[in-house]
Amino acid sequence: MNQLILAVVALVSGAVLCLLNMSNRIRAMLGLASQAIALALVWSVAVPVLTGGPEVSGGVAWAYPINAIRVRLDALGAFFLVWSLPMTFLGSVYAVGYLKKYFDGPRHVGVHFALLNMIALSFVLVYTGDEVVSFLFGWEVAALAAWQLVIWDYTNQRVRFAGFNYLVSTHIGLLFLVAALMILYAHGQSWDFAHLGRWLSANHGATRNVVFLLLVTSFGLKSAFFPFHSWLPRAHAAAPAHVSALMSGVIHKAGLYALVRFTLLMGTPDEWMGWFLIAFSVTSALIGGLYTVGQRDLKRLLGYSSTENVGIAGIGFGIGCLGLAWQAPVLVALGFGGGLLHVLNHAFFKCQLFYAAGCVYQVKHVVDVERLGGLFRLMPVTAVCFLIGGVAISALPPFNGFASEFVIYSGLFGNAGATVWAKLALAVVGAALAFVGAVSALSITRAFGVVFLGNARDGSLPPGHEASRWMLLPMGLHALGTVVLGVLPAVGFALVIGPVALFMSGVPGSPVVDALAGVAGTLSRIGLISGALVAAVVVVLLVRYARVRKPVSAGATSATWGCGYTLPNARMQYSGASFSSDFSRPFKSIMVLLRRQKAPAGYFPRDSYVVTDCVDAVERRLFNVIDHGDDTAVELSRRLREDDPRVAFAAGLAGVMIIAVLVLLAEGVLQ
Amino acid sequence: MKAVLSATHWAFVLLMPILMIGVINRVKSWWAARKGPRLIQFAYDLRRLLGKRTVISDTATPLFRAGAYIVLLAGFFAAAMAPMLGRFAPLQFSHDFIVVAYTMGLARIALMLSAMDVGSSFEGMGTAREASFSAFAEPALFLLIGTAGVATGMTSFADLIGALRETQHYAVIAAPLVVALLILLQAEAARVPVDDPLTHLELTMIHEVMILDHSGPELAAMQYAAAMKMVLYAGLIAALLNPFDPFASPAAAAAVSLALILAVAVVVGCIESLTARLPMHWVPRYLLIASAAALASMAVIGIGASV
Repeated sequence: MNQLILAVVALVSGAVLCLLNMSNRIRAMLGLASQAIALALVWSVAVPVLTGGPEVSGGVAWAYPINAIRVRLDALGAFFLVWSLPMTFLGSVYAVGYLKKYFDGPRHVGVHFALLNMIALSFVLVYTGDEVVSFLFGWEVAALAAWQLVIWDYTNQRVRFAGFNYLVSTHIGLLFLVAALMILYAHGQSWDFAHLGRWLSANHGATRNVVFLLLVTSFGLKSAFFPFHSWLPRAHAAAPAHVSALMSGVIHKAGLYALVRFTLLMGTPDEWMGWFLIAFSVTSALIGGLYTVGQRDLKRLLGYSSTENVGIAGIGFGIGCLGLAWQAPVLVALGFGGGLLHVLNHAFFKCQLFYAAGCVYQVKHVVDVERLGGLFRLMPVTAVCFLIGGVAISALPPFNGFASEFVIYSGLFGNAGATVWAKLALAVVGAALAFVGAVSALSITRAFGVVFLGNARDGSLPPGHEASRWMLLPMGLHALGTVVLGVLPAVGFALVIGPVALFMSGVPGSPVVDALAGVAGTLSRIGLISGALVAAVVVVLLVRYARVRKPVSAGATSATWGCGYTLPNARMQYSGASFSSDFSRPFKSIMVLLRRQKAPAGYFPRDSYVVTDCVDAVERRLFNVIDHGDDTAVELSRRLREDDPRVAFAAGLAGVMIIAVLVLLAEGVLQ
Repeated sequence: MKAVLSATHWAFVLLMPILMIGVINRVKSWWAARKGPRLIQFAYDLRRLLGKRTVISDTATPLFRAGAYIVLLAGFFAAAMAPMLGRFAPLQFSHDFIVVAYTMGLARIALMLSAMDVGSSFEGMGTAREASFSAFAEPALFLLIGTAGVATGMTSFADLIGALRETQHYAVIAAPLVVALLILLQAEAARVPVDDPLTHLELTMIHEVMILDHSGPELAAMQYAAAMKMVLYAGLIAALLNPFDPFASPAAAAAVSLALILAVAVVVGCIESLTARLPMHWVPRYLLIASAAALASMAVIGIGASV
């Protein structure tokens, strides 16, 4: 408890110190130092809790109507806290490299590091808060700090728009959350999570269903589930790479944490909630995956893949809910265990991919895949990290994405369904997940192949060299985590056993160890297979190339076979747009492809171009509706006023009446 | 007993690629009224390639050198878990089919990245086709496994394929599942009508165009791996149809599986001789037939359990 308060004090004072009047370099180091101290303090509490120690709880008396600010760190909070803080720290280390060029300029970089401290602070508040007030406070600190971090490059109007878009979306989410919490307060008469939980688990029915839907909407907006995702690719493309990484990998996991937390409070969810969560998540995974295929902007692509991956984790949580509803301990363990493991794994490889994209941006000043190419030879460390992250995000062995998806698949194909139709439905979800995996393999092959392999497409870009060590180090550490969690999946599983045990306590006659032992055994076997595969590849390559250590004799390298064409150039390589066009044809309605072109004309054509871009259909429709709705309302009111002011007055009165009736009806339904 | 079966399984995995290619080519020459190459010509081809020096594109990165061997080794690992002789695989544990599918996925991504690595527009085109067609094929395999899993109540690949024969609705669902597997074989092993291994025009290729810049031992590895993938799918069909329990009567099970795999080769050869390759934009629809067949057998299981 005291360590947590000290950690908060360290983060806040570090943030204040960052703002003081001194050189940017010292400010950055102060920010890093305060985060390191807070990290050590938090770990000293959270690691024992996660490894089976007693929960930590405490409270501070506060003024009415809050009464007390309560803190409770259980295994679930500890699980999220244990990796969120170090990843924020690594993100801040990356920021030093990314913002280095501003250090000697007039810009106050300290604010940026202070905001990163605030992000870390919000994790401590959200993951340990045991009542609504400190939870919401931490929630809001994260939202505002993330907004400020996104608009680092605020002189650019597009960046400001992306930031504003994020700010509005996240607060719409907040409204849903507040609405749900107010309904709960009206019934539970307390801000305490424990009280709310007691009310939620005892009162099945319409109110609980409404609260559940409000919460899922809110957390869906926070974690960018489809169709609440449209702010995300914009924000991620506009923000500096480490901010995108932290938002996608760490900050928005708070939405999933809250989802799991409230499921836990709910005790036994209804069966429909599990199915609803699965359907919602599968849609996110499918559509997020499809959107990754068409993107030109590397960071937008990674942003959409966040929507896909929260969907995959959500499928896990949905399975867990079904397990709770059916009283099937194995499903509970596989669902929540797999979902939480995927959250952790996604944090590892997604940050790594964003860091690699940031390195590319630092060197080439663009992240447009159509203008890049052949970066492997220029920046091999970045390329290898991107490749590892990409293979992991496609859920392929031997990296960590496979381990967590394996657990989720085991839940889907576990034969634990209540009826045959339920089992078949889960198997269909499994097939959808397989499709998502293949699609993300496609988009990663496209991104990696076009950006890092082949030849450079645009000679006008700066020549560049490998990024700074400050950036390579965090990226390398994340890559190491991705590999270790893949080859030793039991390590990751050991981390989620604590939180899963919380859920298992609600299922009768289910020793946690039994339900998890089977999966853990299988996972360690898979780890062995993955390790053996890696070892076999290394041995074969050593045997094959041991002889040709010396420079390859003349004639052993040659130009790429041009299929008879003798003058190929780098612009003729397969581009990202041509790569995705085959696949995206059947999905035209979802992946809207905009195409601007000017065909060459005349005998000596000078200016001709083709520009294609995959835009977000949901966002376009959203803006369309808002535009049209706005127009319609304006048009209507204009016409009314011109006719007769009394009609306008009557119409306004009627509108107020309708709203009042709706409110009354809602009250009637809710009571 | 297990050791004998494992040895037989590995003998199948290692030798059948050569024999299967030989049988397909022989069938095709029969239809064309030619004498055709020797049955084990593929082995001679491989030996010739192994003796050659590798020529590598000067655009290629170290990934290119590793790619071919990752493809081959991942194929071997998948082969260890895929049933071939009936209800048996050398490596068997619960949900191993996910490992099989994703190990083959790893092989595919290694193949695609080594194709992208040389910066050729043609190889990029082949990669894009491979990636999108495999995305359409992938759900079919999982639907098929889901059907078998629900029908048998088993969770390991060999069990749920091998034990399907003992379930109630086997007679109804066997045909659609075999059709689904055959379509998957054609897609994954690049056979007509999805892809034509003998075409000479790069624009119409899928698999062949991706290995245009491979040569020598690397090319041998790629070709062998592709043939092995075909054997894996043919082996699945054999395991699904094989009426013998490999533990009770190993010799009969092995003989029947051998015959079934060769029968699949004959079928593949006949289809290749009698039909043309589909236009590229029809391929996704053709692959959907596999998913539809698997979904239909799912419906059979569901309805069968409810009535």
